[in-house]
Amino acid sequence: MKTDIVEVTTRSSVVVDKAALRRESRRPQGRGWPRLADSIAATVLIVFCLMALLPFAFMVVTSLQRTNVITIFLDPAKLELSNYVRLFTENGFGAALVTSIGVVVLACVVNAIVCSFAAYAFAKRPFPGSEALFWLYVATMMVPAQVTLIPLFTIMRDLGLLNTWVSLFLPVINAFGVFLIRQFMSSIPDEMLEAARIDGASEMQLFFRIVLPSMKPVIVALTIFTFLTTWNDFLWPLVSITNDRMQTVTLAVAKLQGRLLTDYGIIMAGATVSFLVPLIVYFVLQKQFVEGVTSSSVKG
Amino acid sequence: MRTGAGAGASEPVVKDDAAFAVRPRQRRRRPGKRAGQYVGVPFVLPSLVILMVVVIIPIVMSLYFSMTQYSVLGSPTWVGTDNYTKLLNDDAFAAALGNTVVYTLISVPLQTVIALLLADVLARRFRNRFGAIVRSTLFIPVMSSLVVVGVVWRTILGTNDGAVNVFLEAFGLERVNFLGDPTLAIWVVGLVTVWKNIGYFLVIYYAGMMDVPAELYEASGLDGAGRFGQLWHVTIPSLRPVTLLVVILGTIWSFQVFDLVYVMTGGGPGGATTTIVMMIFRAGFQNFQMGYASAMAAVLFALILIIAVVQRKVLKSNED
Repeated sequence: MKTDIVEVTTRSSVVVDKAALRRESRRPQGRGWPRLADSIAATVLIVFCLMALLPFAFMVVTSLQRTNVITIFLDPAKLELSNYVRLFTENGFGAALVTSIGVVVLACVVNAIVCSFAAYAFAKRPFPGSEALFWLYVATMMVPAQVTLIPLFTIMRDLGLLNTWVSLFLPVINAFGVFLIRQFMSSIPDEMLEAARIDGASEMQLFFRIVLPSMKPVIVALTIFTFLTTWNDFLWPLVSITNDRMQTVTLAVAKLQGRLLTDYGIIMAGATVSFLVPLIVYFVLQKQFVEGVTSSSVKG
Repeated sequence: MRTGAGAGASEPVVKDDAAFAVRPRQRRRRPGKRAGQYVGVPFVLPSLVILMVVVIIPIVMSLYFSMTQYSVLGSPTWVGTDNYTKLLNDDAFAAALGNTVVYTLISVPLQTVIALLLADVLARRFRNRFGAIVRSTLFIPVMSSLVVVGVVWRTILGTNDGAVNVFLEAFGLERVNFLGDPTLAIWVVGLVTVWKNIGYFLVIYYAGMMDVPAELYEASGLDGAGRFGQLWHVTIPSLRPVTLLVVILGTIWSFQVFDLVYVMTGGGPGGATTTIVMMIFRAGFQNFQMGYASAMAAVLFALILIIAVVQRKVLKSNED
């Protein structure tokens, strides 16, 4: 009995001590400090946010003014859309937008289908040698795009595919999607697939009715990542597209700068158009967007 | 497991209801022995064909090209290791390699440290609406293409009528030749990279910090550690795998830099920002020395593999 009481009291006193210490550790420098430190930290963060945004604000402001001298200030009197009009009438941005959107849609759809197909086989229908094949897939993820650039160019040229949508979207397909989706597919219980098979579902029905719907979140993430890499790709379109009618938006922006070095208004208008599409998608799908892009970090 | 070939062979024939209870177990036990063991193959084929065309065959071709003399027209002529010996004596390539290393040494440490510090502040002080807004704001440059980033910063930093110089002049200060000065240019390109990447690595670090157990902070708080003590003794050690990822990714990206340099400086002034990929592009697609460019690409590939392996080793040995 007695020992029990002692133990309880010691225990409770220790708890009190801990709480006091914890309070102490929260404010190492006395009262008022945390609030001051918090506002300093908040100010630093706001400065970083401004630094992240200012160049884009500058880009938009410049694109809306007809001027060859850059100002950081918005002059309402000079505000006009003439740069955007010239962008689409004289510089083929309409065609570039169509190409970019078409290629992005193709890349996203084909990548999602092809990758989830393969992931399904690797996760749920392994065959002799599939393990080794999967490691070959993973190994291809280590190859930087710049290394395959020259052979890819000659292959596409020999197949007569240069300056086509196929040549623009095909190299976007990579094993990363297979790798990503396979991880999620393992979580589908085998029993569920087995039950569907017994009910007479064909392998295809199984895939499209059961497997694919449960892969929605990861496919959305992969699609966002595919969208961003395809939309922003530059080196491959630069070497493979020689026909101006087939140029992508990113390529068109770089070409604008090359041709009209000091016409800042129109260059910034092109940059704004190129930036606006991912930005809108980002605002709509913010959470999935960050997940989609960060999950690509596994790629290495 | 002892059922052996007999059960496996009879399996496809079994169609009556009574067998259903047994079948799933048998399936899992002997997956290689059933009739449908190649059911997965057609599912793999589309991706395999595409990967063959865009990665596997090109990587083999690239190695072959690197041993040949090959302009875009005509066919490759075998020259053995000539391209590689030529590379060893190519001052321009050595300079490009040096530029790439300097660019990496500028961008990677800075973006790693800044992302870590910002993520720490956000995770420890601002797990609220404000923090969420800061994180999504800093992510905006991440989504933008390097071409847009390059074009905009080039316009801001231009010598004659760049925004910064207009600003400097308005205050009576001297103009700075940001992109025309050989020593400054590589720093400018490196810092713009840091500007673009912070949001990305911040998000990765922040996600890692969410997984650090709160008890670790409480315990170190008991030991009298302040904010910086906790950052040093708790956060950084717990996030070593994340740091490994951030540093490896950052370095590999740095070694692949092209878009930003192409748009901002074109490799200039005087080759001061010519990087490896810039050289590959020029040799292959402007000078039509596809064989020589392929040899450079092979060196780049080897370097990237070495970096990944070495960094993994170094950061692993730090753990012990």
